[in-house]
Amino acid sequence: MALLEVIGLTKRFGDRTVLKGIDFSLEEGDTKVIMGPSGCGKSTLLRCLNRLIEPDGGQILFRSEDVTRADTDVRLLRQRIGFVFQQFALYRHLTALENVTLALRKLKGMSSRDADAKALLELRRMDMEEHRAKYPAQLSGGQKQRVAIARALAMDPAVLFFDEPTSALDPEMSREVVALINRLRYEGVTMLCVTHDVSLARYVTAQVIFMDAGEIRAEDEPERLLSGHHDPRIREFFGNLGHADA
Amino acid sequence: MDFGRILLLLAQGAGQTILVTLACILTGLGVGLGVAVLRRLRVRGTAWLVETYTYVFRAVPVLVLLFIMFFGLPALGLKVPPMLSMMLSLGLIAGAYLAEVFRGAMDALDPQELLAAEAMGLPRWQILVSIELPQMLRLAVPGMLNEFTTVLKYSPFAYTVGIPEITRQATALASTTLRGVEIYLAAGLLYFGIFQLLRIGVRAVEKRFEIPGFGMH
Amino acid sequence: MIPESVNSSAIWVMPMLELLGFWRDLVAYGPQLVEGLRKTLVLAGSVSVSGLLGGILVFGLTLSQQPAVRRITEAWVSFFIGMPLLVLLFLVYYGLPQWGIRLSPFAVAFWGFTLNVSAYNARYLATAYRSLDAAELEAAHAQGFGASQIFLWIILPQVLRLSVPALTNQVILNLKDSSIAFLIQYTEFFAQVQELAAQNFRFFQAYVLAGLVYLALVSVIVLAARRLEARIILPGLER
Repeated sequence: MALLEVIGLTKRFGDRTVLKGIDFSLEEGDTKVIMGPSGCGKSTLLRCLNRLIEPDGGQILFRSEDVTRADTDVRLLRQRIGFVFQQFALYRHLTALENVTLALRKLKGMSSRDADAKALLELRRMDMEEHRAKYPAQLSGGQKQRVAIARALAMDPAVLFFDEPTSALDPEMSREVVALINRLRYEGVTMLCVTHDVSLARYVTAQVIFMDAGEIRAEDEPERLLSGHHDPRIREFFGNLGHADA
Repeated sequence: MDFGRILLLLAQGAGQTILVTLACILTGLGVGLGVAVLRRLRVRGTAWLVETYTYVFRAVPVLVLLFIMFFGLPALGLKVPPMLSMMLSLGLIAGAYLAEVFRGAMDALDPQELLAAEAMGLPRWQILVSIELPQMLRLAVPGMLNEFTTVLKYSPFAYTVGIPEITRQATALASTTLRGVEIYLAAGLLYFGIFQLLRIGVRAVEKRFEIPGFGMH
Repeated sequence: MIPESVNSSAIWVMPMLELLGFWRDLVAYGPQLVEGLRKTLVLAGSVSVSGLLGGILVFGLTLSQQPAVRRITEAWVSFFIGMPLLVLLFLVYYGLPQWGIRLSPFAVAFWGFTLNVSAYNARYLATAYRSLDAAELEAAHAQGFGASQIFLWIILPQVLRLSVPALTNQVILNLKDSSIAFLIQYTEFFAQVQELAAQNFRFFQAYVLAGLVYLALVSVIVLAARRLEARIILPGLER
């Protein structure tokens, strides 16, 4: 059964159409990566799916339930979708541990002890247990991103969304985070990842969705998209990325 | 008596309110700038004086200082006219606050630029006059406007020393007509109008000296 | 009483006797001064608390989802920031009785100050709010927090910390400004000093004494504020 099924999703900002009828689905335990040039609408798509941005038309079926309806409990939906941001977005007034426990205590009503235990478990999973008492400003970029992932995982979400999780990191830290995401994949975590990072797409060897100008142009295995694709737009995009890497 | 007539009667005090405000602002600017320069040049032997002044004059209430100047000094045989007593209290207090505003703006200057000026061989006072002060004053505009507004809002104290400004007119009118609500609302409105004038004036000066891409908004 | 001959024969004796006389009056008038000081501290303290709570409330309203609520709150804040405090106090003290509303001097001072101070505090908090990271707030939405929860646990703890210097500065202003309450017949410290001065005509000494007392009280707040700032500052959150 599909965890997430998107049918004809559209979004306009003023007279600019950012999403022109998006269709795709994500199975339980699957990982998909969305790629495409800047401004193609991929970040907007991700934000429409948990309704941080309100879509204009189409349907989003979350475990067969249409969550675009007006009576949907949006906050409950968001609690079931973990979201990891490009700029980490850690709460700067809270320690690493407190960043993870806040939602557990306030949204799930867990006691401090239970929340701490759960949060430590997640931090350990991300190799961040020893840094639990540090504030965001005292962590490196890679460490911040690992806390952010722990924060998302602690809620036991049905799916984890990543919005450019490695773009703000230097290459070495970015490799660390890619390795972590890959590990999560083998642990069976369902993930949807928007990225520019070819190595991320290649390493987690998922299905890649290629978006351009608000549309899905192709969905295929990464290797087939990355080299010599028949669509010139796709060839051009990955060709340019290749140059940027070199 | 309708609201328009009240407004008209009170407006007769507006000129004095503006006069008091400007006199205190100019006093504050003069003293504040003097303090900023003394601090920047680290003039020997002035540090303790400057620090004591800015600390004490930011700690004593305007009204207390005003009463020292206007009622206290005459008891020692020194007669101080009303306007001068406002300048020596509200004006000097504004000077202490403005000195802090200027200090903050000085701290925001780029040390590299000053190093470059030194490397060019400019004398110290020249660096101060042609680089530090012009930049600092532009950066200090928001803080200055803030302080000028504060001066305007403390200017009603002038009524306690008999200057016929807006609040003085209002208290006189209120005691004869018993229409306090309208009268003091009208007074508030006049102060708001003067505040707008002040703001427009400062913005115009700011615009006149605007440098594209430098620190202003 | 000082004999006339002493007065003229030794010039240096004069200030000494003056000071001695002032000291004697001061001791005699001590209880009233202490009572005045108590009232000053009560007024300054209570409006510091009510002004902070009011400021948080008003700041919260400026973040409302309803454009109408935001606009009204903005106008409210502008009005009380633009109005000189003294004129506001006169408006309530001398104006409201025409509608049959008579409040005690303390009540007038308390409400007048509270409206004024909470408007200022709301501004400080709003300024700090603008320096917050938008991504952080988006993350909180994405986690499923509601608007009031985000306000309480994400926004407020940060803006309060960022605003500590401005908020403590406001407490100092409250203490100093409380001296104007004597103009509406609230018998706080400065009013008692006036009484003392009027009794013996030693105006200069009395007012300088008042200035020194305020200086000392402000110094206490400054020291306390420094300790508070050092304690609650967060790594990477200082401005």
